[in-house]
Amino acid sequence: MIASVTGIGWVTAAGTGCGRDHDRFVMADGQLPELTGKMVFGKRNPRFGRMDQYSRLGVAAIAFALRDAGLEEWTVKRHIGIIVSTVYGCLHTDMDYFETVMPHEEGAMPSPHLFAYTLPSCFLGEAAIRFGLTGESFAVNDPSPRGLAGLRMSLDSIACGEMDKMLCGVCDANCPPIFAGTEGNNFRPLPAAGVTGALFFMIEKDPETNLPPYGELDLNDKGDILFNKTETGSLESLVHGCLMLDA
Amino acid sequence: MGLPNPVSLVQICCLKMAFLKRQGVSLIEGFTESPPLNRYNFIMHEQRDMKNEPRPSVWITDAVTVTALGNTLWESWQGIVAGQTAIRPVRRFSVDSCNARVAACIEGLEPSGEHSMIHALTERLLTSIGPVPSDALLITATTKSGIDNLERLHQGVSADDQDILLTSIADTVSQKLGLTGKGINISAACASSAIAVARGAGQIASGMAEAVLICCLDIVTEFVFSGFSCLRAMSPEPCRPFDRDRDGLSLGEGAAALLLMSKERACREGRECLGTVMGWGAANDATHLTAPARDGCGLIQAISQAVKKAGLKAEDIATISAHGTGTIYNDMMELTAFREVFGNRKIPVYSIKGAIGHTLGAAGGIEVAVGLKTLSEQIAPPSVGLAHPEGWASGRVSPEPADISGEFLLTTNSGFGGINAAIILGRAI
Repeated sequence: MIASVTGIGWVTAAGTGCGRDHDRFVMADGQLPELTGKMVFGKRNPRFGRMDQYSRLGVAAIAFALRDAGLEEWTVKRHIGIIVSTVYGCLHTDMDYFETVMPHEEGAMPSPHLFAYTLPSCFLGEAAIRFGLTGESFAVNDPSPRGLAGLRMSLDSIACGEMDKMLCGVCDANCPPIFAGTEGNNFRPLPAAGVTGALFFMIEKDPETNLPPYGELDLNDKGDILFNKTETGSLESLVHGCLMLDA
Repeated sequence: MGLPNPVSLVQICCLKMAFLKRQGVSLIEGFTESPPLNRYNFIMHEQRDMKNEPRPSVWITDAVTVTALGNTLWESWQGIVAGQTAIRPVRRFSVDSCNARVAACIEGLEPSGEHSMIHALTERLLTSIGPVPSDALLITATTKSGIDNLERLHQGVSADDQDILLTSIADTVSQKLGLTGKGINISAACASSAIAVARGAGQIASGMAEAVLICCLDIVTEFVFSGFSCLRAMSPEPCRPFDRDRDGLSLGEGAAALLLMSKERACREGRECLGTVMGWGAANDATHLTAPARDGCGLIQAISQAVKKAGLKAEDIATISAHGTGTIYNDMMELTAFREVFGNRKIPVYSIKGAIGHTLGAAGGIEVAVGLKTLSEQIAPPSVGLAHPEGWASGRVSPEPADISGEFLLTTNSGFGGINAAIILGRAI
């Protein structure tokens, strides 16, 4: 066994949730919820409100995963890393930012605020600040629809003794319509993301709290990710395994 | 001090890697479509038992670069050591509304048809690389890939929208080199390629791969230039890293490809060792989205991890290739961190960004390649633009090349989102 799954948090078109709250996990197509600080933290959070949509998705799912693991509150920074898999990253924000570079109004200036969110890894910095996380943090752009790259790399970090605790998952907003092949333009549709929304897992080598873990993660002799000794082919199926849902 | 790699352990690890190679082992999805892995658990548990012991050697067997100073590593190295700068007025797009008007752009780099300029850069980069094994795992590092195509689409110009995705470079490189795996891209702001190198080295050190190709690329675009301009992060004049009068960075574009190999595989194929990746570390300072922690806590942590992983002490490091962007806060943070780790020692420190600009996601990869030359030639390059060293930089950072004497080089990068990364290179033996 390399690590235990101790927390799960998500934001999908069907809603938001934490594993231990018995929230219903459904991967659904459709519009993602408009997240507010109050929805995520129980009170107004102006900083959260100023983030772009991609960052709000990711930070919310990380908050839910940490809460689910009993690790949301902190006083001293923790050596917890974050790896997120994403296909589109901050593409929406890129487009919004470039609108400000090519303004329709005379005298308008590019937005420094938006520019600060034009990297797919920036929201990891937001999460690190909010939750005091000092481990490695980066985004991996993986074309695979299964979204497992971040989880595999996190298991790698733990197995090699570089990290003991990792947050890992996926974050992707809906494909911008102009790139979805639905607007009658000449664009080639971008590849579909495996998960629309955000889904994060807290995985720990040695669970810190007394909360019972969901189960154990390992890798078999073929390199497949095993959850409780059963192969898991996607992050969605891993949630089902953790919550003992029918796939 | 010699390399801490007892032969017996290397031989054991090489045997294991040879076994893994036959099984097509990879931990990272997308790296391989080859036959599945075998006996992975056995290896992983052994690794944990071995983690306090010396690791297998990670050799760098090929290193190529394209920068605004030249299309080869040798050309760039000569220009850097000669104190040249490629930072010049930008002509690629209008900079009339920007607070800076200079950058280090590569001469003649143009988009071709609907392709982004990143394709032209990739083409130039791969022209000079030697043979790459088809089973090499591919990790690319870029911050914005072909974002110039978003600009063109926005202007109503026909362009390939796929180039905007950060995975596009991996697809392109994989196809051009005929690799069996598709590869992935790592995005960690200006630490992207340092983290890619760390991940690649980790794959080899843990026996999960025998060969890893790291490709790092970024281009100067209106998108990025306007962004750094509106953040007031750029200097109106060519940047002056570690100068007390520095006032911002200068953007640059460039690329690097590094072929990492296990010692066993490299020896088997008769490859030259240009240097070794000895240690690595990465940490977030968890302080601010676009500014570094003033106490350098994240960088200190990353350096400490790298030194420990290399099995070295701080005094073993012969020279430091700093991130050295020329912004007030980055350079101050780095000097604070270096002072904390290296104390009063007069260790040579340099930044090459005054010569080739800040190449963002490619910076770490180019700096590793230049670091190999630094170690082999035993010369710390000059920090172009330096006139009056800031504080601790005095006596350590120089506008002239400096002789060094030692086997190990530390290279560091830091970026948006609070990320810091450190790599330790060993001189080829």
